[in-house]
Amino acid sequence: MTVTTREPTVTTRVARMRRPYGRNRRALRSRRLAPYAFVLPFVVLFLGFSVYPLVYTFRLSFTSWSGSGAARWVGWDNYTYLLTNAGFWSSLANSAVLWLLIVPAQLVVALLAAVLLNNAKLRMRGFYRTTALVPFVTPLVAMAQVWIVVFDTEYGAVNGALNLFGLPDVDWLTSTTWAKPTLALLFVWKTTGFAVVILLSGLQSIPASVYEAAELDGASRTRQLVSITVPLVRRVIMFLVVMQTLAVFQMFAEPFVVTDGGPYGSTTTAGLFLYNHISRSDLGTGAANSFLLVVLVMALSLLFVRLLRERE
Amino acid sequence: MSVVSTGAAPRRSHSARTSGRPRRRRGSAASHAFLVLLTVAFLAPVLWAVLSSLKPPASIITDPLEFDPSTFSLDNYRAMFDDVPIASGFATTAVVLVVKGAITLFFAPLAGFAFAKYRFVGKNLIFGAVLLTLMLPTIVLIVPLLLQMKELGWVNTYQALILPGSVDAFAIFWMRQVIASVPDELLDAARVDGCGEFRIFVRIVVPVIRPGLAGLAVLTVMNIYNDFVWPVVVTTQESMQTLQVVLATLAQNITGNRIGADFATVWGELLAASSIALIPLLVIFILLQRHFINGILAGSVKG
Repeated sequence: MTVTTREPTVTTRVARMRRPYGRNRRALRSRRLAPYAFVLPFVVLFLGFSVYPLVYTFRLSFTSWSGSGAARWVGWDNYTYLLTNAGFWSSLANSAVLWLLIVPAQLVVALLAAVLLNNAKLRMRGFYRTTALVPFVTPLVAMAQVWIVVFDTEYGAVNGALNLFGLPDVDWLTSTTWAKPTLALLFVWKTTGFAVVILLSGLQSIPASVYEAAELDGASRTRQLVSITVPLVRRVIMFLVVMQTLAVFQMFAEPFVVTDGGPYGSTTTAGLFLYNHISRSDLGTGAANSFLLVVLVMALSLLFVRLLRERE
Repeated sequence: MSVVSTGAAPRRSHSARTSGRPRRRRGSAASHAFLVLLTVAFLAPVLWAVLSSLKPPASIITDPLEFDPSTFSLDNYRAMFDDVPIASGFATTAVVLVVKGAITLFFAPLAGFAFAKYRFVGKNLIFGAVLLTLMLPTIVLIVPLLLQMKELGWVNTYQALILPGSVDAFAIFWMRQVIASVPDELLDAARVDGCGEFRIFVRIVVPVIRPGLAGLAVLTVMNIYNDFVWPVVVTTQESMQTLQVVLATLAQNITGNRIGADFATVWGELLAASSIALIPLLVIFILLQRHFINGILAGSVKG
């Protein structure tokens, strides 16, 4: 019986005296094997439904295939087709514009709300926090439909409200100018509450003494926000920005349901453009598009991680 | 800006902070204004949809901003149940929710436990796989996954709706954070008493992390209930479509029939369908919201 395998984590005196594995070889072996059994379900599903499809996609991206019959090897054709295709670039541009409309504004609003809600003395704090999460728990597809109705040019409630103030109708979903902001608003409406709670979790880890010291030094509220709060929750902000970037570049259900990519392709996002290959049974191109999107999304994520780290 | 626990702090600060008060007051009026504005913005679309779904269809269109309770009825709901397979959508979603939810809520904490409390060969590699899955856009895997389902003959089956992504990477990641805070002494004490590793998980870890689990439950239910991209691709039969897919095709019918005569009727049904779809989640959220919020707060502080 070897005794060298004792874990350093055992700290209680009782445990030390009794030597947990001294007598029982089977317990020790079960402790060695247990973690493998615990992660096995994940690993099996990961191999089956992530690795296998990924490898498959990679191979598929070099072929031309409609889903039946034999796939034809086309080399880099799918990639060169996409990289010289105006539709592909404009789908990326659409997603980039949506990103600009969504992420900075949402971050500012969410941070402000989180700072206010972090005040334990604030009245109705629980109420505000709960209502902020209501949009987050509503089904996206259901709300996307409500958006269609509310933002209808002729009969929508939003234009109805504008008319009350003597303002003219706006083509929220049918003009290339407004379709993107209207979709962006749906996304912001849906996800800001979650951003607030995530930011709150970061704010709660800042000790109050930091602010007390700043107050003694005569730092204003704004100054405290910029010089203390933001730097101290940078990691949480980084996490949010990366998460939202991934989500915006994958955005699919919103344009699929609300605008079907229109008007004039102005809301055809990167995700919807990719889906369109699939619905046309152009699977090789779809696979190549998938890979280009993965590379782009990962590069963007790393870029943000980098940018936000460098300031430290 | 204090982060003191909500218990005794307010009483003490009442007298101690008199000097800072005027500024605090002004600030708090402005902050309430901001928060009220946000709250209205967050609630308005939901309230508008639910209230409008009770109105006669014609007035949804003619007076979108007027609500007269005396005209409220469930007519739109009746019409909608006749026209749309929403009941079968609910049924499919319910099955997927129960099975997939159970798989996630059982296996994700188990894997999180392994990552948080054991040292084993290949741990970093496998955890890397978890992170990779987190980063990978769902839509990227859809083509090959769909082909895989075709090969397996799983299109339009529950297996296809349930298995892919059922041991969710984010759930594992989150549970690892939560379980890391369980004291090792507790686990070792149980070992001394001859408890097996799995029983340690069930008897010691699960009870300790119950708030985190409640949070995970809300998030999981929400994700599965709202899932759209995968179900829309893998179900072609109406009887296998989940609630969200049923809702989405309804929306497309409308955009297709813009000039149809019964425009108002369709809107009425659409709002009824949307309202009924959001009720179950709202109820679950309101019942478990404290756990959910505390769960998120507990899970990511150590980030």
